[in-house]
Amino acid sequence: MKRVRAFRAVEGNCLDATSAAHLLSRVGFGGTPEEIQRLVDVPVDQAVAWLLDAAEAAEPPQPPAWVRSPWVNTERRFADTPREESAENHRNTRRRYASEMNDLRSWWLGQMIASETPLREVMTLFWHGHFTSANDKVGISQAMYEQNATLRRHALGNFRTLLGDITRDAAMMMYLDLEDSDAQQPNENYARELFELFTLGIGHYTERDIQETARALTGWTLDVPPGVAKPDRPTEPGTPRNFSRDGLHPTFVPDRHDDGEKTIFGQSGRFGLEDVLDLVVSREETALHLATRLIDFFGVSDPEGTLRPRLAAAFRESEFEIRPVLLALFTAPECYDESSRGTLIKSPVRLLVGACRQLRLEVEPTPSLAELTAAMGQALFDPPNVKGWPGGRAWIGSGTLAVRYQLADALLESRIPAGLEPIGFDRFLLVPRDPSQMQERMERMEQAMADRSTERNKDGIKTRFDADSLFPDGPPESPVALVDAMLDRLIVTSVRETTRKGLIRACQTAPAADRPAVVARLILASPEFQMA
Amino acid sequence: MLIQMGRRAFLQRAVGLAALTGTVPAFLQKTSLAFDGDPSRDVLPIPGLNDNRVLVVVQLAGGNDALNTVVPYQDDAYYRARPNLAIPSAEVLRINDDLGLHPELVELRGLLDDGNLAVVQGVGYPNPDRSHFRSTEIWETASPPETAWTDGWLGRYFDNECSGVNSPMIGLQLGERPAQTFAHPRPRAVTMANPAIFDWPDEGPLGLGFEQINQVEPTGLDELDYVQRTANATLAASRRIREAIQNDPTEASYAPFAFSQSLKLVAQMIAAEVPTRVYYVSLGGFDTHARQDRRHASLLQELSQGLAAFRNDLAARGHLDRTLVMTFSEFGRRVAENQSGGTDHGTAGSMLLMGSEIRPGLLGDRPDLSRLDDEGDPRFTVDFRSVYAAVLSDWFGADAEAILKTRFEPFPILDPARTRV
Repeated sequence: MKRVRAFRAVEGNCLDATSAAHLLSRVGFGGTPEEIQRLVDVPVDQAVAWLLDAAEAAEPPQPPAWVRSPWVNTERRFADTPREESAENHRNTRRRYASEMNDLRSWWLGQMIASETPLREVMTLFWHGHFTSANDKVGISQAMYEQNATLRRHALGNFRTLLGDITRDAAMMMYLDLEDSDAQQPNENYARELFELFTLGIGHYTERDIQETARALTGWTLDVPPGVAKPDRPTEPGTPRNFSRDGLHPTFVPDRHDDGEKTIFGQSGRFGLEDVLDLVVSREETALHLATRLIDFFGVSDPEGTLRPRLAAAFRESEFEIRPVLLALFTAPECYDESSRGTLIKSPVRLLVGACRQLRLEVEPTPSLAELTAAMGQALFDPPNVKGWPGGRAWIGSGTLAVRYQLADALLESRIPAGLEPIGFDRFLLVPRDPSQMQERMERMEQAMADRSTERNKDGIKTRFDADSLFPDGPPESPVALVDAMLDRLIVTSVRETTRKGLIRACQTAPAADRPAVVARLILASPEFQMA
Repeated sequence: MLIQMGRRAFLQRAVGLAALTGTVPAFLQKTSLAFDGDPSRDVLPIPGLNDNRVLVVVQLAGGNDALNTVVPYQDDAYYRARPNLAIPSAEVLRINDDLGLHPELVELRGLLDDGNLAVVQGVGYPNPDRSHFRSTEIWETASPPETAWTDGWLGRYFDNECSGVNSPMIGLQLGERPAQTFAHPRPRAVTMANPAIFDWPDEGPLGLGFEQINQVEPTGLDELDYVQRTANATLAASRRIREAIQNDPTEASYAPFAFSQSLKLVAQMIAAEVPTRVYYVSLGGFDTHARQDRRHASLLQELSQGLAAFRNDLAARGHLDRTLVMTFSEFGRRVAENQSGGTDHGTAGSMLLMGSEIRPGLLGDRPDLSRLDDEGDPRFTVDFRSVYAAVLSDWFGADAEAILKTRFEPFPILDPARTRV
């Protein structure tokens, strides 16, 4: 018998079980049978409104214990700091940041796995891929945490407000070099990515627009929050930023700002940061660009090309509110069309979080758990570049697919797969060419990397699978029934005959007690489970 | 797998330790230089192709600062534009009266002296785009700047010219994200970060089930079918790759950094004669908008030492004459430094070519720093697609015009005796 799910369009505007499963696989990390059941026979717009309401009402999570207010630079260097002391401060600070970043990655994964309002986390993840910053370059754990909190706070809020906050976000200012941009020589990095990636999309601005915008954005830097005392010791001129920064608070320094006339998109004025953001948000292309990004991220097909302008219109009519755009997207007929179902290749984070949620695993999030998403090509807080993660087929290379296929082992056996460690590390320092110094520097670097790996993996993976939590009355006795129940729980797309037969045969040959785990492991290593 | 016991095997045994030293012994230099003829005499052609040549593409991601890589140390315009970032003329590793290499490129300087390195200068394309992503796309697809092609130039080469090759890994990339260079609706390439990850359940109910679930059964759902095909190709390729690594007796000396280690793996694959035509590795971090000097120096040091170790390893194994290395970067940087001790996105850059069959030395003309474009960037003198055309037609004997969809005069990168007609 062939087991293909019959997809029906949404009839009478109410969700059936397949449509509810499809919706939850996109707005969340995949629904459990109970969550799906709650939406069956509910009108689509009502169901989506519930999900949006819940996400909007979600309380922000408790920050990790190491977050300080205000942040203090523990590697601050002054003209009179002895060399030894500053080297020591630098080493200790960097070590602490690395361990806090490990904690931050598992902290966020833990939020996603446990969240009652997964849409809030999914949107935070969307914005993390849109307004990217990478710890690789930023290197300050608290700045990465604060950016995450900003993205979560505005995840379903107002885009213009979010854009203002993210432009002045400490991690972003470091990542795209706004922190040091001044009137003498404006740094173009932020201006370019603001237009190309964050708002207009490529091709809707000129090189001149970028240069003029870079001038308008000069004068912003990072400092202590208002009312907090600054150290009153002199700093050696030329001290690198990491050692001279006093705080993470965005601060405008008029002396560093170029307040001359600029011409952007053909309009002239003595523009500053707020003017630039108003100019760019009000452009048609910004709404269209964001519509495209959302449509792609949520894997909705737009065969007629009409969904995109509808979303853009919802965006503009609401003065750049995000919620109405999401409402329009998830209630659109396109969203429930056959061509939108089972077509989204899950991102590594979706895959792992979804597996934990749908299998009801007991999870204690650890750095090694977060390392799994990194090995699949999605290291939280370290997107590959400013464009974020390309998504789609780019998730599927031979190496990343191999890690995906070992996810089951990792989660069901709490085992770190072989081959997760990178084959080498980045040469982050110049190696001296004098042989004895070289030896010493190399040993130090290798030791640092080894320590980092040990530190990351010291807790291992802490997950537990219990078949009883899926089947409180015990699993079905017949292999066929067990396989079908597990497929119903885990797969939203059609299941190939080959897959189902393979599962049933493996189930038949396995000892009865192992069957739920064997079936779960094989489903996780199937092409079908990669799809949402 | 059977390895021919020809000249190469002898050399491998004779100089197994040579790769550990910084230089290639003189007799080996002579051997490979004196050996003149069809390299396929001891290494069989890749099944389905006429020869055994391979290409190694090295991506320098982020936009390498070409001006500080090959330094015009006599040019006042360069020093005026870069009061803080310019390399002092005394520190430059001089090549001629005009140009020299960045002081960290010590090993590449040695490769130049050995006749194993070429620098093509002023490489770019018309109407340059200063976006990382668009410009990378232009380089990876070889599309005209005004159109966006989705398939990669080597993806098209595989499809056009390698249809008879029965290999799951005609292209092999070391990295996490598949490069667009290999992209094609009918992909023929494998991407991996660490081959140790290929570890499958192979016995009991799990092994059986795993095998069956991952047989290809087309569904008409494009994305699902894509995942199926990748899974199938991965299973096939992973055995070959693991074998190649497990059976490698040599212990060449490479630094423990990711780029160097990737090249080490590539050398192992080349020596094991796996059916791969093109390898792809990346070195990232070249987007030096701020605090460029030390970061760029570290990157160039890695590039220099990695490529030199690779050359020595291949020479010691007797596979250098089969191999052509080509670097590319999406653009060079703005001539003038910025306020952050860095440089912003620019245009023309340079490409390095490495091998024993190339025309060594400085090729092409360096851009004139007194004739910059409106943004203050160099104007290109060599279209990168003419370098691709040379790789395709002269190195691979392929129809470059069909693959690049336009006729480009192949830029003469190979020693004329090696160029195929």
